[in-house]
Amino acid sequence: MSMSTKLLDELRNLVGSENLLHKPEDLLVYELDGTIDRALPEAVVFPANTEEVQGVVHACNTHEVPVTPRGAGTGLSGGAIPARQGVIVGTARMRRILNVDPLERTALVEPGAPNIQLSEIAAEHGLFYAPDPSSQKACTIGGNVAENAGGPHCLALGVTTNHVVGMEVVTASGELEWLGSYGPDSTGYDLRGLFIGSEGTLGIATKVAVRLLPIPETVVTLLAIFDDVEHASETVSAVIGAGLVPAALEMMDRVTLQAAEEGLRCGYPPNAGAVLLIELDGIEELVQEQVQEARAACNKHGATEIRTATEANERTQLWKGRKGAIGALGRIAPNYYLLDGVVPRSKLVETMGEVSRISQKYKFPVANVFHAGDGNLHPCLLFDERDEGSTAKVLEAGAEIMQVCVDAGGALTGEHGVGYEKNRFMPLLYSETDLENMRRVREIFGNSGTFNPCKVLPEGTGCGEMAHQKGALQAAGPEAYV
Amino acid sequence: MTGWPLAEDAPNTADLAKCVHCGLCVNSCPTYAITGLEVESPRGRIHLARAVAEERIPLTETVQEHWELCLQCRACEAVCPSGVPYGQIMEKARAQLQAAPPSKSWGRTFRRLVLRQVIGRTRVLATLLAPVRFFARSPLRKLLRASGLLRFMGPIGLLEAQLGRPGRPFRPNNKHEEGDVALFTGCVMGELFGDVHRSTVRVLERSGTHVFAPRNQTCCGALSAHDGDLEEARRLARLNISAFEASSAKTILVNAAGCGAAMKEYGDLLEGDSKFAERAQAIAAKVLDFSEYLVGRTLPVGRLPAKVTYQDACHLAHAQGISTEPRTLLGAIEDCELVETDGADLCCGAAGIYSLLQPAMSAELRQRKALEFAKHKPDLIVTANPGCQMQYEAAIREAGIEARVLHLAEFLDEAQATSTRSP
Ligand SMILES: Cc1cc2nc3c(=O)[nH]c(=O)nc-3n(C[C@H](O)[C@H](O)[C@H](O)COP(=O)(O)OP(=O)(O)OC[C@H]3O[C@@H](n4cnc5c(N)ncnc54)[C@H](O)[C@@H]3O)c2cc1C
Ligand code: SF4
Ligand code: SF4
Repeated sequence: MSMSTKLLDELRNLVGSENLLHKPEDLLVYELDGTIDRALPEAVVFPANTEEVQGVVHACNTHEVPVTPRGAGTGLSGGAIPARQGVIVGTARMRRILNVDPLERTALVEPGAPNIQLSEIAAEHGLFYAPDPSSQKACTIGGNVAENAGGPHCLALGVTTNHVVGMEVVTASGELEWLGSYGPDSTGYDLRGLFIGSEGTLGIATKVAVRLLPIPETVVTLLAIFDDVEHASETVSAVIGAGLVPAALEMMDRVTLQAAEEGLRCGYPPNAGAVLLIELDGIEELVQEQVQEARAACNKHGATEIRTATEANERTQLWKGRKGAIGALGRIAPNYYLLDGVVPRSKLVETMGEVSRISQKYKFPVANVFHAGDGNLHPCLLFDERDEGSTAKVLEAGAEIMQVCVDAGGALTGEHGVGYEKNRFMPLLYSETDLENMRRVREIFGNSGTFNPCKVLPEGTGCGEMAHQKGALQAAGPEAYV
Repeated sequence: MTGWPLAEDAPNTADLAKCVHCGLCVNSCPTYAITGLEVESPRGRIHLARAVAEERIPLTETVQEHWELCLQCRACEAVCPSGVPYGQIMEKARAQLQAAPPSKSWGRTFRRLVLRQVIGRTRVLATLLAPVRFFARSPLRKLLRASGLLRFMGPIGLLEAQLGRPGRPFRPNNKHEEGDVALFTGCVMGELFGDVHRSTVRVLERSGTHVFAPRNQTCCGALSAHDGDLEEARRLARLNISAFEASSAKTILVNAAGCGAAMKEYGDLLEGDSKFAERAQAIAAKVLDFSEYLVGRTLPVGRLPAKVTYQDACHLAHAQGISTEPRTLLGAIEDCELVETDGADLCCGAAGIYSLLQPAMSAELRQRKALEFAKHKPDLIVTANPGCQMQYEAAIREAGIEARVLHLAEFLDEAQATSTRSP
């Protein structure tokens, strides 16, 4: 299928020719996000404002061509992959922070603004934006809204949905709406909440109003070192059991530590079996008390060493490794398949055991790095996609891990979304009635199947072929490039 | 099977595979920051290289355009958690363009000629730059500036704006000398930035280090390497290796960031040369940046009452990981107020000969710097690479900003000299 020149002309008129990509080489760059799946778009457009977004959505709908929104393309579930080709709508030109209101502690931002930029500007007013995905240097607020992104610091403060008060959206049918409010309460159905985490299947957020928080007076980060993951996991339960709610509680295992240390030289002990990063914040006296309690819990459960960072630069150094850890895995294997299961904290140790059993069974080494505090696991299976059949095998191993999480009373995804990659597992968790209701929600926003197709909900035919369609371009032959 | 026209200098497959397309680097990339296009981002450029390697696409003009817009500033490499050696990938990608350019142009042929026959030949370069130095200080220049003609002279106009007021050249001695600490003098650096070298020598002397410039050294080869002419880069590297070996120096000091980065990587450049591989590594291990060396030594008190901003040279901050040392040295100077501007570590757009090849993108980056200077109003703009100095000269001239552009060595020299004069 090739896109009609009429639609291309319309898109060009809407956004200008420099903001429309359609050469095969250019399209190739947009075939992937941060994970395994691939699919080539037929065009990529970069609207500059809400009106242009609306125009693009209308044009595509009229031509019945699929639309897929895209932020920075750091997603880990294939959400920004154009599963049925069509047009990618990128938000890269809509990246302004429109205003920061230090009195109301809110900000209004465009969807393409990188998460980090919001935090940097808020910091000028002594404020910060809580959700801090490890990808925050790159990922966009629009992508965060779509994935209901979390981050290391979401344990005490909650994820994106707890910090976005409202947003302007162009719905799948091209309607312009404001969902939510500026205030904390809104009556009636929470359409705002419905949109957050909808993974770009209901519409495109064009402006996002967020809540900001004052930067805490005192912050202390502990790095506790253990011989193995079991002791570290027990400590997690003990810390939470003691009634502490740390700002962050993160775990990394041996494989991850080695990669992070090698790549980022952040001073981690490369021979440790596991480490916990525990961050406590608030008013000085309280924090000091909590630090004592946390240290006691670590010591009681076999910590071999505890380091304390109080200065901002020391803390940044400790966090640098955690935030770069997943990317650093590229040093030890060409590809990783990153899972995102959630289990009750009480099942942490048991589940980790199962994960390592599956890793051995399939002979894919596993690196673990996760938000231990809320039981959100990120096992990364390491592989090389150039090995014949390895991608299929790694997906199979992933499926087994997901089954383990669901059996433990958990969920498929904590923060990376279902996307394309995990949609076929939805029936593990939901009944046919539930899935049908979700389909209806889509229809209410005007998504008749062409708006970010094949995502979240299992879909019949037509999507399956997209993955790894490496030959598609080659088939077009060299003439396609002149 | 790969789709590379020049197999022996093809980007390493394992290096390409290291990119896990996480996207964490995109916002550090100047060309992405300006265009918002992933095709102009590190991840995009690597993905295209991989696609060519895997023969999914041929090496096309579009691919060439995206690679050539890359500044090779290596900001992406510095932030990549996966350790993708982007600088090397891009040099080798450029080598492919040299071998089989999808669009043949006079520009490319001319550029190669200049790099090989002028920049890479000390004598020719010296002869050709002598009149430039004369022009820079002549009334003719004032006339030309007043006439407004420069605006219509394209690259010549740009070069004129970039040209400071070069002093006498600084060239290695003809005699054979030996010593512990050798100074690398470079190509354009020695001809147009002789003052920087003289300041470097004085500052080092005051810290108790005697330096000398070994004979027979030549251009470091960075410009050729960045342009994908690895053959020429290797020729120059071999000459330098022999020259420094003969001097028996234990330390080789470099005050131009781009040269330092290139020389520290001689080992990689000559990896496949059985006669030179080990020697290249040995020489590379001796190379230190001027600031890197100086920061560990006792210096006389310096004083300079001025508002100063330090702008990172990409090949110092990103390629060599040196960004605190120059600031530490600046911070130790009394009465000097150090101001940090936004994007101090963002490429200024000089990038070797990039400002001539990609004038639009280069100008965009230059103007970003000028905006910051206009906002913070520094008296002195300090950096650590001749190309950057030239770009800042042009930036302040275009924006009508009153400030002086100095190399770190010149700044320290001036501060130390001032403080020895006034008690
Ligand atoms: C190294 C690494 C670490 C990560 N760490 C974390 C982490 O700690 N926590 C976490 O939650 N995630 C993490 N992620 C995943 C990812 O960064 C997040 O899902 C992020 O929110 C995606 O943002 P993006 O801008 O890259 O979106 P994209 O990948 O471009 O898109 C993601 C989804 O959002 C949709 N979308 C994008 N913009 C809009 C819009 N304006 N309106 C509607 N839909 C839109 C897309 O259609 C797609 O479905 C990590 C990823 C990487 C590579
Ligand atoms: S170059 Fe490094 S940071 Fe950039 S996408 Fe590749 S792995 Fe990630
Ligand atoms: S070297 Fe500089 S311009 Fe080139 S991709 Fe990396 S960051 Fe961008």
